[in-house]
Amino acid sequence: MISTIYIEEEVATHPRTFKILERFPDADKITCKRYGEIFNRKSQNFRLQKKQPALILARKHKGFILPTPKQYGIGAEHNYYFSHMLNCLYDCRYCFLQGMFQSAHYVLFVNYEDFLEELQSVTNQHKGQAVHIFSGYDCDSLALDPVTDFTSEFLPFFEKNKHALLELRTKSTQIRSLLKRKPIQNCIIAFSFTPDRIASALEHKTPSVEKRIQAILDLQQAGWQIGLRFDPLIYTKDYDVEYEALFKTVFTNLDPESTHSVSLGSFRLPKDYFRKLEKLYPDEKLLSSPLSEQENMISYPAELRNDMLDYCKKIITQYIPIEKFFPCHDSI
Amino acid sequence: MINLFCALYCEAEPLINQYQLSELRQFDLFRIFQSEDKQVTLTITGIGKLNAASAVTYHHANLETSASDVWLNVGVAGHKSMAIGEVCLVNKITDNKDLSCWYPQILFQPSCKTEALITVSEPSTDYEQALYDMEAAGFYSIATRLGTSELIHCLKIVSDNDQQPTEYINKTMVKDLLIKNLDVITGIIDKLKVLSNELYSISRAPSCYQAFIDKWHFTATERIQLERLLRQWSKRLPDKDVIKSANKLTSGKSVLRHLQTTINETGFVIYD
Ligand code: SF4
Repeated sequence: MISTIYIEEEVATHPRTFKILERFPDADKITCKRYGEIFNRKSQNFRLQKKQPALILARKHKGFILPTPKQYGIGAEHNYYFSHMLNCLYDCRYCFLQGMFQSAHYVLFVNYEDFLEELQSVTNQHKGQAVHIFSGYDCDSLALDPVTDFTSEFLPFFEKNKHALLELRTKSTQIRSLLKRKPIQNCIIAFSFTPDRIASALEHKTPSVEKRIQAILDLQQAGWQIGLRFDPLIYTKDYDVEYEALFKTVFTNLDPESTHSVSLGSFRLPKDYFRKLEKLYPDEKLLSSPLSEQENMISYPAELRNDMLDYCKKIITQYIPIEKFFPCHDSI
Repeated sequence: MINLFCALYCEAEPLINQYQLSELRQFDLFRIFQSEDKQVTLTITGIGKLNAASAVTYHHANLETSASDVWLNVGVAGHKSMAIGEVCLVNKITDNKDLSCWYPQILFQPSCKTEALITVSEPSTDYEQALYDMEAAGFYSIATRLGTSELIHCLKIVSDNDQQPTEYINKTMVKDLLIKNLDVITGIIDKLKVLSNELYSISRAPSCYQAFIDKWHFTATERIQLERLLRQWSKRLPDKDVIKSANKLTSGKSVLRHLQTTINETGFVIYD
């Protein structure tokens, strides 16, 4: 799967680097000074790189834990996110990463110890208050877990710091390491969903909706808290039928008790990212959706967006109590 | 288009024959060869980094290159231990003068080894475990300003090593090394061509775009809008002839309005 690994000189002797390299004995290993020498160079093409992304092992120097954008949250006053990795194994056509980066290579920051130190200092600032930490913003949290050991390295922190809640956002079914450990009540495994037919059209290389549901069932059975993220909501002519069927499948299968939260947000991209997407995938159907521009964001026109969000909210709240429902947009 | 660069004629000759290239006599600063269909072009850069950089610039300035072109530097190189005749696709280029580095992006399974390369200013026999040449840094640093980095590569054939240093190299030997490895070289070019075609296909305007430009006047901004609308039309109304539909309209602006309204009135289904 990974045939080239770039290694920053600074992390060449990091124990995590050795461990990861051991997994890929046949990969080309190339040292570099800084990952920026390879990642996000001007003349690179995301679409071509996505055919065979390399792995870049790097050190992150600052900005380990950052405040989330305003609307992003599931109930806490203090919300932060962090990215131990840039880019994703999967290839969702609506993903903002393809607009944000020139490069599709996976950058893995191996200095987890620095993330954990900053996590400690951020959570200490909010002692006695609920603080939510989101992972899976610039990557999928679990997709490369067998390689990165992300969960086994970060979860012990949340085991000790119960007032901090971690959300792991994912579409992956790589849940083996989670199933091996005792569930942590302040860790939410949040799965994103779109209806099957939309997922097949737009979410390339991801596990099917059915497999994701099976992963959730396994996690719930083991005692993990689950989040459901219907974000982005994608418009298609019969979106009501498609989403109603999806909600029915998901909610009738899952245990509402261990469903921690459900969030909803419609498709939107910053204008610059959207324009880049048009250049990369000019024949992509998503781009000819009924979209409009507002304050440098491309999204569905307000009326359509509100119709979709209202409709989905109405159905979702038939299955779960309203306290567990978190719209991730401006209109509900 | 495939843009090939060799330092010496003896490196180039097997490729000139393989792709049936003829010399373009109008160029006198560097020798340039081209296939009849203009899809393959080869420039002889001369020895050294500066020559290589100048040749790439000259090639670009005189021939119509594009972002979807392949750029390939083919030639011989030294190595400490690799056998003479071994072919390598370069995965890292270091300029030994200022230690600048470049990292060619290999997005396919090459049919040869991959190896780091050091570009030196003078011929050297101080071999390390890397390839040694005198052009790659000059070639690559300029080519990445003109093309797409995934399509820019250096392919080197080992011509000298610790056991058999540079004194043994001659024109015939170099030419033979290239001839023996033509399969690998053309194989790499074919793989790059696939990527190049993909890039070309997405950079092209929709097929009917030119017909609209010929018939109506559009400002630069309107042309961008037109291209976007034509793409949307082809996805939303694949069975409806767009030119026929707009035929009676008298201005570019009314065409854009018509396309937008018709698209808006059409139902949208995201899956096929
Ligand atoms: S799973 Fe998430 S991060 Fe990965 S490509 Fe899809 S949207 Fe992007």
